[in-house]
Amino acid sequence: MSEILNESIVELQLGHDVAGEFNSPAASRTWYHYVLLAASVVFAAVSIGFVGSILWESLPTWLHHSGTLLGGNGWQTPGGPFGGLAMIVGTLETSLIALVIAVTIGMGTSVAIVFLIPKRFRNIVATLVELLAAVPSIVYGLWGFLVLAPWMYKTVDPWLNSWPFARQIFGPPSQQFGPSLFLAAMVLGIMILPTFVAISREVISVVPQDLIEASLSLGATRWQVIREVVLPTSRIGLFGATFLALARATGETVAVALIAGGVANVQFHLLNPGTSIAAWIATEFGEAQGHEISALMALGVLLMLLSFGLSLVSRWLVNRQRKVLALV
Amino acid sequence: MTETIHVIAPSELDQGLREEIRRVAQATRARRMLVSRVMIALCTVAILITAVPLVMLLFQLIQRGLPQLNWAFFTTLPSTPSLLAPNVTGGVSNGIIGTLVLTAYASIMAIPVGVLVGVYLAESDSKFAAALRVISQTMAGAPSILMGLFAFSFILQALHVGFSAIAGSFALAVLMLPVIIISTEIAVVNVPNTLREAGLALGAKPHKVSLRIVLPSAVTGIVTGSILAISRAIGETAPVLLVIGGGYLNSWQPLNPVSALPLMIYSNAKSEWPSQRAQVWGIALVLVAFVFILSLTARIWASRKQQVRS
Amino acid sequence: MTDIETSGTQVVTDAVRGPVAMQLKDVAVSFNGRTAVRDATFDVVKNRVTSLIGPSGSGKTTLLRALNRLHDLTPGAKVSGQILLEGTDIYRGDLTVTELRTRVGMVFQRPNPFPTMSIYDNVVAGLRFNGVKKKSLLDEAAETSLRAAALWDSVESRLKVAASNLSGGEQQRLCIARALAMDPEVLLMDEPTSALDPIATLRIEELMTTLKSRVTIIIVTHNMQQAARISDDCAFLLMGEDRAGELIEFDTTEKIFNNPRDSRTLDYTLGRFG
Repeated sequence: MSEILNESIVELQLGHDVAGEFNSPAASRTWYHYVLLAASVVFAAVSIGFVGSILWESLPTWLHHSGTLLGGNGWQTPGGPFGGLAMIVGTLETSLIALVIAVTIGMGTSVAIVFLIPKRFRNIVATLVELLAAVPSIVYGLWGFLVLAPWMYKTVDPWLNSWPFARQIFGPPSQQFGPSLFLAAMVLGIMILPTFVAISREVISVVPQDLIEASLSLGATRWQVIREVVLPTSRIGLFGATFLALARATGETVAVALIAGGVANVQFHLLNPGTSIAAWIATEFGEAQGHEISALMALGVLLMLLSFGLSLVSRWLVNRQRKVLALV
Repeated sequence: MTETIHVIAPSELDQGLREEIRRVAQATRARRMLVSRVMIALCTVAILITAVPLVMLLFQLIQRGLPQLNWAFFTTLPSTPSLLAPNVTGGVSNGIIGTLVLTAYASIMAIPVGVLVGVYLAESDSKFAAALRVISQTMAGAPSILMGLFAFSFILQALHVGFSAIAGSFALAVLMLPVIIISTEIAVVNVPNTLREAGLALGAKPHKVSLRIVLPSAVTGIVTGSILAISRAIGETAPVLLVIGGGYLNSWQPLNPVSALPLMIYSNAKSEWPSQRAQVWGIALVLVAFVFILSLTARIWASRKQQVRS
Repeated sequence: MTDIETSGTQVVTDAVRGPVAMQLKDVAVSFNGRTAVRDATFDVVKNRVTSLIGPSGSGKTTLLRALNRLHDLTPGAKVSGQILLEGTDIYRGDLTVTELRTRVGMVFQRPNPFPTMSIYDNVVAGLRFNGVKKKSLLDEAAETSLRAAALWDSVESRLKVAASNLSGGEQQRLCIARALAMDPEVLLMDEPTSALDPIATLRIEELMTTLKSRVTIIIVTHNMQQAARISDDCAFLLMGEDRAGELIEFDTTEKIFNNPRDSRTLDYTLGRFG
C-alpha cells in the first residue's frame, strides 16, 4: 500500500510527461475513448456522491446545531445535544502525539536502515517494514488492547504519575482506568511507524552516492553528511512521508475505538479516557437514530475537511519544494 | 587553442586566514566527531525501539493465534459460549466467507473502473483528467470510515437496501478505486515513450497503440496495484462496520448481511469470554497471513517486471 | 635519478625529485579478498600534476580513492602498503580521517554540487563542516577559491542562487572551488572532465596548470592526450592476468610518452590498445 503512495509521491517529485495523444485533434473518437471517458465519468460521479451524500445527511446538524457540534461538550443520546468538541480534541491530541513519536523514532530508524545495517540485510529489513505497514489497523488495535494496555496500566501509568506536573498533564489517577488518549496515541504511533519508515527509507536511500562521497571528502563527519546533505536532499519525500503518516493517524478508527475509552467529554488529560472523531462514529453509529445519525455524519464532514486539508497542504508544500530545489 | 581564456592567477589565501581555518577545524574536531558518534548511536537506539514492539506483535500474533487454528475454526459457524460451556466458541467460517464475498464483489466493481480511469489519466492532459488525478490522490488518503458513511447514505438510505454484502462491497470498492487508479496511471506512464513512438511510426492509430503495445507492457504494474488494493480492502474494518450487519451465516447473497474477519476481531476483542478473546488472535493471524501473502505476491510480481525490463 | 626501493618492488625513475607531497609504497587495494590494484609505488612531488593513466579496469580510480580513504566506506575493502602524507601514514598514523580529508581534497567525475545549497553555500560547505562559522572568514575563503577556480567573475552577482543553475563546466569548477576552499595540500581529481564538453574541458585543463602552484594535483584520466597535455609526472597502470591492476611504470610525462621503459607503456601511448 505504501509502495503505491510512495510512488505517487515520487511522481510528484519528478513530474511526468503525459502522452497526450488522447486529446490530439487527429485522434478519432473510437469506442476506446468513449469507454475510458465513461469510466472517468463514473468515477467523477462516485467522488461527487461521496462528498455530497455525507454533506446531505449532515445538513440538518449544520443548519441547526453547528455551534453545539463544534463547541459543545457531551453527547446525549438519543435526542441531543450532540457536542463534538471532545472528538475534535481527541483526534488532534492522539494524531499529533502519534506523529511526533513516529517521526522522531522513524527518522532515526530509516537512517539506521540505510547507513548502519549491512548491505545483505537491507532488503530483508525493507521488506519486513513494508509488510508491517500493510498489517491491518485492527490487528494493531487488538494488540494494543489485549497486550499493551494492561502492561501500560500496571507498569507505565504509575511511573508516569510520579512525574512532576503529572496531574496537569496526565490527570488525576482516580480517573485513570486503563484506556486513555495516551495509550491510543502510543498505539497509533506504533502503527504509523512502519508506514513512515517504509517511505522515508526509500527516499533516503536514493540520495546519490557521490553527494555522500563529496561531503565526506570535505572532512564532514558521518552525522554531518546525514544532517546537512542526505536529509535536506530528501526533504520532499520526507514531507510526503510525514503527511501520509499523519493522514493515517487522523483517519484511524478501530484501534482508537478499542483503546481510547470512548468518553465524550472534553478533556486534555492524557491518561484519562477520550475518543476521536472516527472512533466515535464507529462506536455510536450502530445504535444511532434520526438526529444522531445527522450529527455523526456532521462529524464525518469534519473528518473529511481535515483529511482534504492535510492533502492540500501536502501537495502545496511538495510543489513549493520542487520549485525551490529546481529539481529535474 | 584559439581562445585565450582569461584565468585570474589564484591569490594566495592570506596566511593568517589559512591558519585560522586550520585552527578552528582542529579545535572543533573532537566535539564534532563526538556528536557524530552520539547521533549515530541514537539512530541505533531508534531502530531498536522500532523493532521491539513490532517484533513482539508479530511474535505474539503467531504464539497466540496458531493454537486457535484447526479444522473446526475454518469450517464451523460461531457459537456463543455459555456458563456451562465457556470454551465453545465455534469457528469463523462466516467471517472467512464474508471477507471473500466482500472482496470479490468489491474487486468486480473497482478494478475495471479503476484501471480504465487510470489509463485515461495517463493518456490525457485535459483539465478533467487533472481534476480526477487530484481527486483520486485526495481520496486515497481519506479515512476509511467515510466510505462506510457513504455506503450507508447511498445504499442503505437512498436505495433502501438493508445491511448487506453489497453495501459493504460498495464501501470497499470506493476505498480501492483511488489506489487502483493511481497505480495504473503510474504503470502506464512508466511504459517508455519509445514504445509508443515506435508504434505510431509504424502507422498504427493512437488507440491501437495503447491497446496493443502500451497496456500489455503496463500489465504487471496494474496487477501489482490491484493486488495491493485488495490486500488493503481485506483488512479494513471501518468501511464495513456500519453497513454489513454482522451476519451469522455463511452467505454468498449480495443482499444478505455478512460478517467479515476484521469485524469479528473488533466485536469479539471486548468479549467477556476469555475463550472468545483468545479466538480473536486466530482470526487476526489468518487476516495478517492473507495480507502478507498478497503483499509478497505483489512484490514478487513487481520484481518480475524489473527482471523482464532489464 | 633515484631508485626507490621497497619490499619486493624496485622502481627506477628519472623523475624530478623535490619536496614530496605524498608517497606510495607497495600500495594494494582488495575487495573481499580479490585484489583490484597492487604494486603501486611512487612519489608525488609537490606542486606538480601527477596523472594516473591506463585502460579501464587498471585500477586507477581505485588507487586514487585510497588516497583520501574513501574505501573506508566499503565494507570488505582492504588497503595494504603505506601511503604517506608529509611523512605521516594516513591509515596507521596519528591522523584522523576527517583531518586527512581536509588536507587531501577530491573532485569527482560528474559535477556534484549539493542540490539544496546555493553557490555560496556549496563553496563554503567544507568550511562549515569543519566548524568555521565566522562570516568574514567564509566570505573571504569563498571569494578566494572562486577566483582560483576562475568562476568568481561569472557568479559574483548571484552567489545565493541555487547551484543547479550553472552549466556543467561551471558546476565542475564550483566543485573545484569547493574543494579548494579547504586549502588542501593535495587535490585528487577523478576524470574531472569526462562528463564535460570540449570547451569546458579546456578551461579546466588550463585551470589545473595555474592551480598546481598552490596544490599538488593527482588526476586520473582515461584520455591520454589530456595526460600528455597537462601532467608533469605519469603513472601507467595496466590490468594483469590475475585481473588486478598493477603499476607498470612511473616517470615524467615527457619520458612516458617519448621514451618509456616498458613496451606495454609504449603500446598504450601509441594507442595500440585502449
